[in-house]
Amino acid sequence: MERRNKRVLYLISFLYLAYIFIPLTAASEYTFKTSVQGKYSLDNYRSVFVEDDFFYYVLRSFWLSALSVFITLLFQIPLQTWLHIRQSKLKSVIETASLLPLIIPVVAFAIGAQVAMPMFVQDSVLELPFLYSMLSLPYTYRAIDIGLSAVPLRTLYEAARTSGGSWAKTISAAVIPNIRGAILAAAALGFALCIGEFTLTSLLHWDTFPTWINDVSQDSVLQAITLSVISLILPIFVIAGFAVSFKKEKRRI
Amino acid sequence: MKTLELQSLTRSFRDVKALDKFSLSVNQGELVSLLGPSGCGKTTALRIIAGLDHQDSGTVTIDGRNISEVPTHKRNMGMVFQQYSLFPNLNAEENIVFGLTMRNATKIQKRTRASELLDLVGLSGLGGRYPHQLSGGQQQRVALARAIAFEPEILLLDEPLAALDAQVRYQVREEIRRIQKVYGITTIFVTHDQEEAMSISDRVAVMNQGQLEQIDVPQKLYEFPSNPTVARFIGSMNEIPSSIEGQKVKVLGSLKSIAAESEFKENGDIVALVRPEAISLSNSSRAGVPGVLTNISFLGPISHLYINLDDGTEIKVSQSSHQVPRDIKDGKIFLSINSDSVMVANA
Repeated sequence: MERRNKRVLYLISFLYLAYIFIPLTAASEYTFKTSVQGKYSLDNYRSVFVEDDFFYYVLRSFWLSALSVFITLLFQIPLQTWLHIRQSKLKSVIETASLLPLIIPVVAFAIGAQVAMPMFVQDSVLELPFLYSMLSLPYTYRAIDIGLSAVPLRTLYEAARTSGGSWAKTISAAVIPNIRGAILAAAALGFALCIGEFTLTSLLHWDTFPTWINDVSQDSVLQAITLSVISLILPIFVIAGFAVSFKKEKRRI
Repeated sequence: MKTLELQSLTRSFRDVKALDKFSLSVNQGELVSLLGPSGCGKTTALRIIAGLDHQDSGTVTIDGRNISEVPTHKRNMGMVFQQYSLFPNLNAEENIVFGLTMRNATKIQKRTRASELLDLVGLSGLGGRYPHQLSGGQQQRVALARAIAFEPEILLLDEPLAALDAQVRYQVREEIRRIQKVYGITTIFVTHDQEEAMSISDRVAVMNQGQLEQIDVPQKLYEFPSNPTVARFIGSMNEIPSSIEGQKVKVLGSLKSIAAESEFKENGDIVALVRPEAISLSNSSRAGVPGVLTNISFLGPISHLYINLDDGTEIKVSQSSHQVPRDIKDGKIFLSINSDSVMVANA
């Protein structure tokens, strides 16, 4: 019986991996193809890398996503810590509200959220990180919430406060180091979501790496697919980077 | 080393009054235990002193300085919690100097203090261990060292021994008292364990339903409880049904006089409260009221004897083991008391 269960588990794992990797492998294989049947080369990648705008848009998406993650963590860690310690009733309300970006249509969300922002932010690409951080809320909120629920937060908080820690020092010295895993998970999720975000950016007429891929696809499908593969691999590397740093941190602890 | 004063503290949680005009004065360098049943308000009082909770009314003062509105981190009080509450990401040494880190102490200051305190709590050489690598007793020692590392004005101990097993509890208890005396820190110790409170404290404050019932040195508290609630809570107590006749109560053959202005009514039902060690036993019928010995618990130097009276009341008697009557026939034994040791309460 145990052996049979194991086989079923292996089969499910195999199907799951196949579901993820077959399209990715097929797309990747396609990007190496040349006009000569059966011959492969790096020409498509070379042509993409020499594009003037490639690094500009990659870097732009990268720092916008990084800023979005920073905003997410800056607001959510203190807020959620406060909710866990002081406001258990309000916590369930905020938890439900955090799901709204999944429910509200992106068009309504984009216009509504943009109007709510100060004019100087509306006129700047800097509005995107704020909107991205809202968009990723359903995922990042839960990642941090799980981390905070997994530690004896109230005890740690009170121990730090009675030891002379101000609110900010308590968060930075007693809370953050003990939910590092959850923070890294939230950061990875937020980053992956933001770097690939297209709809909202396009609706607000800003240009980032995903919208640039869309533009490129008008002229060259092959290049567009190559860029799509790159846009898939980039967050994977970033998430892997997060995971490695998390493991190192865990070993230190 | 400061004097702590709580004046008329009141704290309600919805309809429940956790503290009801609770006042307490703790002298410099004194260790006072707050003792009482669960829900009596002792932890609430401690949390208000620490600034982790806020009173509805009343004041907390240190050396006459009102600190009621001072935030927790500026009160300069060390606290040890029931759960070990060590920071899992920091080793023992880093945990101990956490308060100093918050106060921007230099590395040298921190290292010197950590080494001194690790010595003091008997954990020299274990400074590099993380909490999960320490036993419960060791973790609580580290927590104690952390609480005194920054030389707090007041030390607050919230049932710090509750999570420890009996043997370790005894050791850590002795350690707390020793360290408290070494530094002479004014200390509040919250516990629901009367033995713990009696053994460690300069004075014990018995609380009930948010109010202070009595505060005194352990011996006086035990021998002269101010009311039946305290008497029942401190130590073991026999409750013997009786009644008042002619301003007197008859208990185990002895007569105790009741003051004319007392709250007890003539012929009213009352209970006589008698300590187990206040009862004498004899196998001579001239020596008191008869009873039947049903069980003896031998605890080494003392023994507890359980005796049923004719009316079915079970009496517990504590005696030195070598004084327990030997030649008891058919369990028949006679009980007597000194009426001065009897306390009377409404039934």
